[in-house]
Amino acid sequence: MLLEPDFRAQLERLALRSDRRVRGMWSGSHASVQRGESLDFADYREYTPGDDFRRIDHSLWARLGVVLVRLFEAEDELPLRVVVDRSQSMNFGEKWPTAQRLAAVVGFLTLAGGDRLSPLATPGMAGAPFSARQSLRHLGGWPALEDWIERLEPEGVAHQPAVARFVAGQTSQRGPTVIISDFLGGGSVDALDTFGYAGGGVALHVLAPDELDPDFSGDLRLIDSETGDEVNVSTTPEAMASYREAVDEFVAEVAQRARRNGIEHVLVPAVADAHRQLVGALVRTQLVR
Amino acid sequence: MRFLAPSAFALTALVGPLVALYMLKSRRTRMVVPSIVLWERAGLSVSSALPWQRLKITPLLILQLIVLSLFVAALARPFLSEQSLLGPHTVLVVDTSGSMAMSNRWELLQDRALGLVADASPAQIVSIVEGGPNPRVVTAFSSDPEVLARAMESLTPGGGVERLDEAIRLARGLETPDRPTKLIVLSDGGPTGTPLESEPIINAEHIAFTAFEPNIGIAAFSTEPSAEGATRLFLETANWDEAAAAREVEISVNDLVVAAVTMDMPPLGRARQTIPVEAGPGDMVMARLLGAPDGLELDDTATISVGRPHSSSVTVLGEGSIFLTSLIDASPFEVAEGDGADLLVVDGGPLPEIDRPAWIIATDEVPGGMNQIGTVQNVAVSFQQPGEPMLDQVDLSQVAVAEAQLVETMEWFPLVRAGDVPLVLLGQVNGQRVVYFTFDITHSNLPLQVAFPVLGIRILEFLAGGGAIVVEPELAGTPIVVSPPPGSTARVTTPSGVTRDLPAGTTLFRETNEVGGYLIEYTDEDGDPIASDVALRKFAPNESAGDFHELATVAPSATDEFTGQLVREWAPWFLGALLVFLGIEWWVGHRRPIRARRATVTVQ
Repeated sequence: MLLEPDFRAQLERLALRSDRRVRGMWSGSHASVQRGESLDFADYREYTPGDDFRRIDHSLWARLGVVLVRLFEAEDELPLRVVVDRSQSMNFGEKWPTAQRLAAVVGFLTLAGGDRLSPLATPGMAGAPFSARQSLRHLGGWPALEDWIERLEPEGVAHQPAVARFVAGQTSQRGPTVIISDFLGGGSVDALDTFGYAGGGVALHVLAPDELDPDFSGDLRLIDSETGDEVNVSTTPEAMASYREAVDEFVAEVAQRARRNGIEHVLVPAVADAHRQLVGALVRTQLVR
Repeated sequence: MRFLAPSAFALTALVGPLVALYMLKSRRTRMVVPSIVLWERAGLSVSSALPWQRLKITPLLILQLIVLSLFVAALARPFLSEQSLLGPHTVLVVDTSGSMAMSNRWELLQDRALGLVADASPAQIVSIVEGGPNPRVVTAFSSDPEVLARAMESLTPGGGVERLDEAIRLARGLETPDRPTKLIVLSDGGPTGTPLESEPIINAEHIAFTAFEPNIGIAAFSTEPSAEGATRLFLETANWDEAAAAREVEISVNDLVVAAVTMDMPPLGRARQTIPVEAGPGDMVMARLLGAPDGLELDDTATISVGRPHSSSVTVLGEGSIFLTSLIDASPFEVAEGDGADLLVVDGGPLPEIDRPAWIIATDEVPGGMNQIGTVQNVAVSFQQPGEPMLDQVDLSQVAVAEAQLVETMEWFPLVRAGDVPLVLLGQVNGQRVVYFTFDITHSNLPLQVAFPVLGIRILEFLAGGGAIVVEPELAGTPIVVSPPPGSTARVTTPSGVTRDLPAGTTLFRETNEVGGYLIEYTDEDGDPIASDVALRKFAPNESAGDFHELATVAPSATDEFTGQLVREWAPWFLGALLVFLGIEWWVGHRRPIRARRATVTVQ
């Protein structure tokens, strides 16, 4: 069980919000990029054959002699995508369990709000760069989502640019993307540009405490879990200070790149209650209300 | 600082391998991390094909170099050479007279002596001679500091007068032919008038102890039966302070306080009182100064015993003389005929069988244990044994002898001599105490001397043994004459409660430097008590002053072979420092690196 019942009950009282207009398949509660049937007046446009006669503004026609049709706001469902980085680098400490729970939190919030959730994972199965599960809507899809997340296991190398291109190509649905990753894989940071183009979203930057502040000592030969590359390191106090400085710069770089593309950046240390802390952070950034 | 084993410094070569170990690259621990991207961004990649690296001066290396240096230095046995009072052979003459108990003189002496013997190196030997009233060699030719320390600690100041001249003669007797002998006299010099004042002691040094505190002491305490059946005590106290003093003196009989008097003493003066008390024969009477402790506590008490009557009988054999007859008639002894008498007096003639204590005067043949090798004429007394109770207050210096037997003996103890000619000897015949005169008293002027009746009665009292001795306090250090009845053995209990079983044949108990009462018990072969005696030893009054004077000595030249070098090794200190640095090195090597951890990990 990824989320405790009491925690799910808390999540049900919350809902996702989007500053951008969305384009969903079904109507919902989020402002759509299309005009629709709501009561909120949006604009006028000239009448074209085929328009609904009931929307012609007769008073303007009489006063100005121009046939204008009243347009109203449309509200669509929020088509949210959650991209889970399940590369080998996520298999370190509490990173992967944390990533799973974060995905579960985002997914549950989406489903509880009646929005559409499209879960994706990279790398995909059988050597594919990513895999996309069929989209889910309403809480009835939660057991299937939970099962899908639990079955994921970290392996291989992430291909986030491929995922980003896939998301950007889905023009029929435009909505935010939640990227759960350590952004250590090749191209992960660059993919934020594409994710931003595809509708923005949130980057949940998951790093283990030992990555943020390693407790190493002695002379080490560090081996990259994904590439197998090696590097020799002597953990002198100066070296450790340089490493921590590099981590800070890396996190700042990811945050800057994300925000530049309209993506909120949230650094999530991989600790046991990170998913509970995440909710507070999302509320503070007004991604959840 | 010099080194006893400088070859150990060859081990400093170990610095090379130690530094080389630090220049060798250590085998790196392999560790899988999510990504090395961040480590590469930090520019921490270190890689080289060479097994060596540039030497890094780390705290651990510095500590290990210090530890190695201390180890090598300890093995090299560093030492400092100091001038020592000790020579190749040093005889410590330790004054244990009563004045050494003044103030903290004895504590200072012990500290100094223990310090000296602790510094003794294996190449130096030390002997210790006690310079009290009965000088003796305590330990000889030892370089073991523990043995020497035990010997020093066995000594305590008593109540007697030091006999440093005798002690120095003993020390001279310990001189070793193969190594120069130096004397160190640890003393306050004692009261003025000692024989050493004008005779410098060669190859000696005097370490003086001069601490002084005002003192009040009992100078005299005696008794005699009064006509009323009570006992009159004579008490004299002396004030050695420059201020007048009044001290209360408590009198107790058999540990029961019976009287108290106040003695008012002028500055540096004395006070005397006569005190009647109810005390009978055999009672122990003690006087004790009350009040705050003064400079010398040993002279604050005095003990006497009321004398007991005699009941022995004497048989006179041989010619007999009017002098002997008069002497015995005036003595408490009864004259008895036949074999029933307790004592035998043989005045010339054939030597009878000795089956009881006897006073034998120039018999035709001398007793066993001595050989007569001739006769001498016209000799005068030149020596009388000091400290001998029978001769106490007996002046025989005017005695001249017309003819005396010339005897030689290794078994008899000469009490009085004329040059090398023994005149009065003490010994045993058939297990019986015997006093032998080598001259006929009628052929001398002895009977005309005032000392004759005193000497005669003392001899009879000594021969009678057991309860026949009148108990009078003697100066501490005066030997106790032990006169066990035939077939008995003697045991002495000292004032401090120490019990000594004396070997058969012992006639003198010399360890009497302690002030107080000595109980002498005689037991038969079955261990049953036969008789007992009490001997009292009092503090020597002239020791109460705590006088000091410098002894004349001629110190060994600083350049000659007497100069002692004290080798003080520092290796233990180096080993101690080594252990400390080893502990620090271990701690530095095994501690977790101290670094600033990031603040609480939270979602940001």
